Amino acid sequence: MATNIQILCRNIFKLRIDHVVHSSSFTPRYRPPYWYSKKERQGSSNEHLTRDNIDFIEEVVQDKNTNQTNLKSPLVNISPQSIQPWTPRTRRVGLIARKIGNYPVWDKNGKKLQTTLLQVVDNHVIKYIPPEEYKPMISKNHWKEKPTHGCLLVGSETIDPTTVTKDYCGLFDRVGMLPKKYLYRFVISPESALPTGTPLFATHFRVGDYLDVRAKTMDRGFQGVIKRWGFKGMPASHGVTKTHRRPGNIGGGGEKARVWPGTKMPGHMGNRWRILRGVKILRINTKHNVIWTLGVAIPGETGAMCYLYDTILPLRKLQTTPPFPTQPPTDDLPLEFYDESIHRFENPTLSFEEM
Amino acid sequence: MVLAVRKSVEWGITAAKLFVRRECRILSTLPEKQEYAEKQIERAPSGRKSITKKSILESRHIYPEFLPDPNPNWRNSLREKLEREDMLKRRGQVEIPEFYVGSVLAVTISDPHAQSKTNKFVGICIERKGCGLRADFTLRNVVDHQGVEVRYDLYDPTIQKIQVLRLEKRLDDKLLYLRDSLPEYSTFPFDMDQEILPEGSEVPVNPIQVVLKPKPWVERWERQELKGIANIEEYLTEKNKIKRELRKTPWEKYDLMKQYRKTIPIEDQKEIWTEVYTQLHQLQSAQKKMSRKRVFTSPKSLLA
Amino acid sequence: MFKTLVSKIIPSTLTPTKCCSIMPPTCSFHTTSCLNEVRLLTRLRVVDNSEIGKRAMAEGKPPRVICVYNKKRVGFIGDRVLVAIKGQKKKGILVGLKQIQKVRVPKFDSNNVVLIDDNGTPLGNRIHVPIPTILRTILKERTHAKGADYTKLLAIATRFV
Repeated sequence: MATNIQILCRNIFKLRIDHVVHSSSFTPRYRPPYWYSKKERQGSSNEHLTRDNIDFIEEVVQDKNTNQTNLKSPLVNISPQSIQPWTPRTRRVGLIARKIGNYPVWDKNGKKLQTTLLQVVDNHVIKYIPPEEYKPMISKNHWKEKPTHGCLLVGSETIDPTTVTKDYCGLFDRVGMLPKKYLYRFVISPESALPTGTPLFATHFRVGDYLDVRAKTMDRGFQGVIKRWGFKGMPASHGVTKTHRRPGNIGGGGEKARVWPGTKMPGHMGNRWRILRGVKILRINTKHNVIWTLGVAIPGETGAMCYLYDTILPLRKLQTTPPFPTQPPTDDLPLEFYDESIHRFENPTLSFEEM
Repeated sequence: MVLAVRKSVEWGITAAKLFVRRECRILSTLPEKQEYAEKQIERAPSGRKSITKKSILESRHIYPEFLPDPNPNWRNSLREKLEREDMLKRRGQVEIPEFYVGSVLAVTISDPHAQSKTNKFVGICIERKGCGLRADFTLRNVVDHQGVEVRYDLYDPTIQKIQVLRLEKRLDDKLLYLRDSLPEYSTFPFDMDQEILPEGSEVPVNPIQVVLKPKPWVERWERQELKGIANIEEYLTEKNKIKRELRKTPWEKYDLMKQYRKTIPIEDQKEIWTEVYTQLHQLQSAQKKMSRKRVFTSPKSLLA
Repeated sequence: MFKTLVSKIIPSTLTPTKCCSIMPPTCSFHTTSCLNEVRLLTRLRVVDNSEIGKRAMAEGKPPRVICVYNKKRVGFIGDRVLVAIKGQKKKGILVGLKQIQKVRVPKFDSNNVVLIDDNGTPLGNRIHVPIPTILRTILKERTHAKGADYTKLLAIATRFV
């Protein structure tokens, strides 16, 4: 008898429904990765330091900075034979970019296209974690799976190491890099791994390819249902009192006698991670590392950071071999790449001949 | 009516008080200083350096679209720089002359829909807005007793030619009231000749006042303090006049913070103009040479 | 007697460019600029020289839209409309709109219509206002080999802008 109850209990505990329900009103929590927790830097004030010490620290930081800028890309040492070929199933590393605004370009039919400009700021590979060691904290897969994908840490925007905590600084110091302001991990296949210190440029992607862009949407604060979910509201007049922008009924009575989960209600709007898939690249500037993408729907305001990947949409996936594992730094690249449908501003005026 | 007048007087007094108080308070802040600096430069044209600075700053009237949108949420120095580079590249391909709201322009575009694949439109510029590559302008004309307006992007690559037929300014910043005025004020023949101003003269201001048609109008022109309308008073009812008084915002010209937010600070402007001035100047002189050549060649062909 | 008086008075007061979308006097509290869309019961201006159109405009009774033949039920340039004109139902094609247009497409001071019959043949034989060049492409797209031929309208146009 006791054994039966034990078996029942064991089976009941095995049943998990928490990963089955995906509510659309998922609220973001603060879940820092194990290696990064925000701490107050101890002794951040410079009051105990003498002038000489301050100068010395500045000198050291500058030396390190110049060392890093003079660092040659480790890709040069790797022979092209040792790199495994690209296949459509390989996952490449992505980039960290900043959204810097939008302006129009014209195509060769004279049509105006709005574009968003993404600047790839000072991206460096920090560390590669092979599949055996890579254990992501949050995983949707609750079953054991053979690890096939590794992880590449990529940092963007070098900052002064005296302004960050020792733990964060140590992360970079262990691999011989200066700390970066933004750090992000890209899940990649093991063959597209890159050595530490490899700079990544906008030419990692090609003109005409499609991107997935992950970014945080604009924070709009606590909003009502009309702005948040696009409800219609109620009339402004004709005897309507006090219910012009209210949601109205939110649930049935009777047996249910409760509000269903996921009901559209007022609440915090924006400031969520969202992915915009299938964004076309129209133009790339190699000097400033700027990517022009079609459309103005990339989440976030001007100056926000976003993450760029190769798209996973089946019809817009990469067809031909991209720069793999990434574009090595060369000096003979042209200043700008344009998609063939785009009219260059330095080209003469468009004219439509007799068809 | 009496009430309204009294109210407006009271407002005037309060605004004056506010202004006095503001003067005492805000003199030490940043925008005030900048305004002051600008005034000083404009006041003192003595010395060569100040003259060049002034001429650099003058180009904000000639090329207003080179100044970015003053909204700080949309500003980014790199994007503005790339945008200016693209604008200069386009200006190298087509001559975009100096023109103002009220000038008469002839625009030729390549049009895939037209039979000859080009399309020419002549009209008076009634609006000019937008900054950067988004800049556009609107032309208005009356063709066969039918008012027509066409909007063009300034940096559109299908524009083949922009020709200024008559370079002048009007009394207002926008001439949208031409939609409600008599048609003769916005009628221009398509075969209009170019009027050439003497070299080095200032752009004339045309003090013409238009005659409005009776209501209904497109907008409430009486509330916009327009100088270019002659006969607006005869169409206004008593109620309109009272409302106009109530809607007036005479304190806005003392709102220094609002003015500051609407404009680009003088330091930023100097940076922008020093970056693009030499190129713009070169383009301008090159295009002048081209136009002179054209002028010289035409009589020869006539003589022959 | 009364009718003739009215017909004498109205053409003089009505300027040619202003005969449509006159707001009813009760709607005096609009705070935003109107969209000037062509939808149900909009007054149009007939711009060809068909007999019925000329008489309707001269009497100060411009036609009203009673159907716009598209999904949105808002008329755009080149759309087919059904109008009520002098107690009859006629079809027409919109050849000029008052609402805000795209770049390089002209915006007119009135909503213009050209009357056609079911085969697409215009009722008049001349259009006395300019019509936009983009109409040429739109009407060619709408014309099918066995359906109505709208391109006859382009042949009677006097001027393109």
